[in-house]
Amino acid sequence: MSGRGLGTRPLPPACSRAAARGGIIAAAGLKARKYGVAGLVSARNRTAYMGSFLGDILSYSLFVFVFSRVWTAALADRIDIEGYSLSQLIWYFIAAEIPAFGFGRFFWTLAQDMKSGQVAYLASRPFSFVGYHFAQGMGKAAVDASVLAAVGAGLGLLLAGPLPISSPAHAAAALASILIAGSMQFLLQFAIAMTAFWIEDNSAFFWIYQKLVLIVGTLLPIEFLPEAARRIAAWTPFPSMSYAPARIVSSWPGGGAALSLIASQLAWLAAAVLLCQAAYRLGRSRLTVNGG
Amino acid sequence: MHRATRRFGSPRAYLRFLSVSFVVNIQSVLEYRANFLLQVFGMMLNNAAFALFWGMLIGKVGAVGGYGFDDVMLIWALVSTSFGLAHVVFGNVRSLGQIIQRGELDLYLLQPKDVMLNVLSSRTLVSAWGDFAYGFLVLALLPGFDPGRLALFCALAFTGALVFAATLAAAESLCFFIGDSSGIAGAVTEFLLSFSLYPETIFGQGMRWVFYTILPSGFIAFVPLSALNGLGWPAAGIAACAALAYSAASYGLFRLGLRRYESGNQMGSRV
Repeated sequence: MSGRGLGTRPLPPACSRAAARGGIIAAAGLKARKYGVAGLVSARNRTAYMGSFLGDILSYSLFVFVFSRVWTAALADRIDIEGYSLSQLIWYFIAAEIPAFGFGRFFWTLAQDMKSGQVAYLASRPFSFVGYHFAQGMGKAAVDASVLAAVGAGLGLLLAGPLPISSPAHAAAALASILIAGSMQFLLQFAIAMTAFWIEDNSAFFWIYQKLVLIVGTLLPIEFLPEAARRIAAWTPFPSMSYAPARIVSSWPGGGAALSLIASQLAWLAAAVLLCQAAYRLGRSRLTVNGG
Repeated sequence: MHRATRRFGSPRAYLRFLSVSFVVNIQSVLEYRANFLLQVFGMMLNNAAFALFWGMLIGKVGAVGGYGFDDVMLIWALVSTSFGLAHVVFGNVRSLGQIIQRGELDLYLLQPKDVMLNVLSSRTLVSAWGDFAYGFLVLALLPGFDPGRLALFCALAFTGALVFAATLAAAESLCFFIGDSSGIAGAVTEFLLSFSLYPETIFGQGMRWVFYTILPSGFIAFVPLSALNGLGWPAAGIAACAALAYSAASYGLFRLGLRRYESGNQMGSRV
């Protein structure tokens, strides 16, 4: 018997490329599964104690109620402000607060991991530190955001009238925009949390970031900003984080304009990924592990 | 009188105790000076974001619910300084429920000073210093600033701080009765702050009783605003009476709950 069995026979070039490609796809699938499981476990943990949603639901409902009163008083003697009617402004606020509330609190867990030294333990495990946190954070946040969206829809029906979603394309665009905004929330908060490698208590940076998100598009549509501020805001990621999804939900700007808003969000998302990776790489070089 | 003094201790001794606690707390937070300054200025910037919101909104539509920009800013100044003062002096006020739940009151029960005052004043909240300073900054930037107005503002901020501390401590003390009161306490904090920071008139007549009973925003923001806008010291007197009443009720609730307290059998020390 010849020594050249099937196992050692070289495959034709086309087959070898296909096998390699298959291997890469399988490896990528395995990786994706790993992060998928992390996200799913986090989502399941979040749903384990349904009572824990109560605080968030109360706070979210309170803000929606207070702002519905503010807009009612502001529009007491006019039909609209900058083209937004009372109903649109209330729906705008309901939608704008979903990324802020549902995806807005990754920072505290991340900062705590940094301070407690948990980062040293996680950094040495066989997964991407950023990817693992992203999957874990988004799994939990997706549940939070879904609950808030349902509560928001109910509140909106009570306070503002019928749901402004007019077509399946409108619904799909709104969903995509909210998910991109949520992902940006994670990535930017991650980058801020990484400043703990240099400054122990970095919560002040988060407050400032949070307020910029609030002012540029959450509390008010960016059309309300003075002209100069609006022009500056266009060069920042903040309108992509609340304004874009809230605008798409509350007053459908048409397919082309919605796509343009989502494209701008995607560009900022790519920039946020790069910033996040850079912040982690720079910070990791300062990590000192002392036994334990 | 003698019996009351013997049970609670002399007011002068308590003032001395509170000032010593205050100084120790300041020294402790100033150990990390850069962090302290960062948190203080961060909180001031945080509050300033809402000034921008109101500036832009009132700039577009004029007064909201009859409140102009100066009125809204005066409310922010009062609430911010009151909230800050309550957490600067009584920094443990929002941890009280957790302390009770974990059985960590033992440490304070063994000490000669009143348990509630001792627990509340044994910590200061760093970011609250930013809230405290922000109110004075806003007041100084608003038109009509003079020493008389500053004195009235200080008195109203003091009564507001008492109402804040009393209400939040009462919500946390529910822990003695229902076990975990963190949900209720969190909701009371959020609701009290949110209702205090917006014009009273936007909520309508139906909700006004809430602001003068279970969520006393009226005595933190709205009565003090009337005092600063012309009613003067008589309105401050009403705020002071309310502060005393809320403090007494909160103290009573805590003492009542303390009878149900079960020790956590924990070893602890205050350093």
